[in-house]
Amino acid sequence: MKDASIDDLIDGLASELQPVTPRRLSRGSLAVAAGWIAGAAALLWLSGMRHDLAGGGMMPALPLLAFWTIVALGIAAAWSALRMGLPGVGRDYSGWHWAGLAALAIPVTALVIAMGDHHAAIEAARPENGMGCMIEGALSGLGVAVALFAWLKRAAPTSPARAGWAIGIAAGAAGATIVALHCASNDMMHIALWHGLAVVLSGIAGRLLLAPLLRW
Amino acid sequence: MSIDEPALARMMAAAQRGDRAAYRALLGDCRRWLARYFARRIAPHQIDDLVQETLVSMHRKLATWDSDRPFLPWLAAIARYRWIDALRRQRDAAELQDDDASVDAEDEAVHARLSLDRMLTHLPAGQAQAITLVKIEGASIAEASEICGQSESLVKVNIHRGLKKLAQLIESE
Repeated sequence: MKDASIDDLIDGLASELQPVTPRRLSRGSLAVAAGWIAGAAALLWLSGMRHDLAGGGMMPALPLLAFWTIVALGIAAAWSALRMGLPGVGRDYSGWHWAGLAALAIPVTALVIAMGDHHAAIEAARPENGMGCMIEGALSGLGVAVALFAWLKRAAPTSPARAGWAIGIAAGAAGATIVALHCASNDMMHIALWHGLAVVLSGIAGRLLLAPLLRW
Repeated sequence: MSIDEPALARMMAAAQRGDRAAYRALLGDCRRWLARYFARRIAPHQIDDLVQETLVSMHRKLATWDSDRPFLPWLAAIARYRWIDALRRQRDAAELQDDDASVDAEDEAVHARLSLDRMLTHLPAGQAQAITLVKIEGASIAEASEICGQSESLVKVNIHRGLKKLAQLIESE
């Protein structure tokens, strides 16, 4: 009976087959890039670019290094999330873990600096001096989150929990890089704490809110 | 009959283009491969259901196979996902029920033990014992509690945690 039912199932699946367009990472990457740019355009349009950059200047060295480190984390997490949609035993999706470890250099640097200037660190840690950045950062990453979620929802992530983390971290990192174009603070404690929190909280939100929706 | 990876990949590429004859042949080969895959991982009475679920999942996710990559790792990833899902359902059932359905036949219990023994060694002793007694040997929660000296609540908790850990172990393989 079981053999017959599987035969029937195979006949049914074959008879309803329609051509499909294979999902390509390049298309997903373009969608993520569009989401990233859309988030940046929205924040800069609403809140404006920081004055030094708007005037053609550059960020100081340490904030600039933090910026590119977070960019790398965002790209690595987004790429991992995209690849999770095309499953295969033996494929390695852990590249973003290493980028995350590298990004820990930012809070470590902030702590070292804070040890030399407690007062400035305490000031930077006050919610009124950074909560807005954190919220703007998390919101600015929504474009990337939507692009990755839409990709994975139509794909086949075999570990929704990990995919949720990857989406959240990618979105948070994208948002943190976007807010860095608006936020004028060059204080490493501010960047590590408030911009970093946008990444961490987005990751937790991705794990808790998106992972259950990615089951198939 | 041996499964030929390049032939499967060709049939899958044809299936993505809408070739129904190639797809029917592919599904037949996948069915045999999946039956062998699940035979080492789950009790025999569950194999056909899992094969069917996996074939349906494969059908729904045809577009996620990349023709630049081999076919069998893709199929194995989908099969593993469905297997983990089955384990999760067992875990959830253990949460809801005091008594779990006994395994139908003694030889099925032996097969289930063979497939799970390796993974059970990775669990704490209490969790492995609770799963062995209830999920494999078919004891009730009350019987398992009496045999292993754990309270009934602890037996349920150990089954829940143990099955969750098993699913994580399989995912990380």
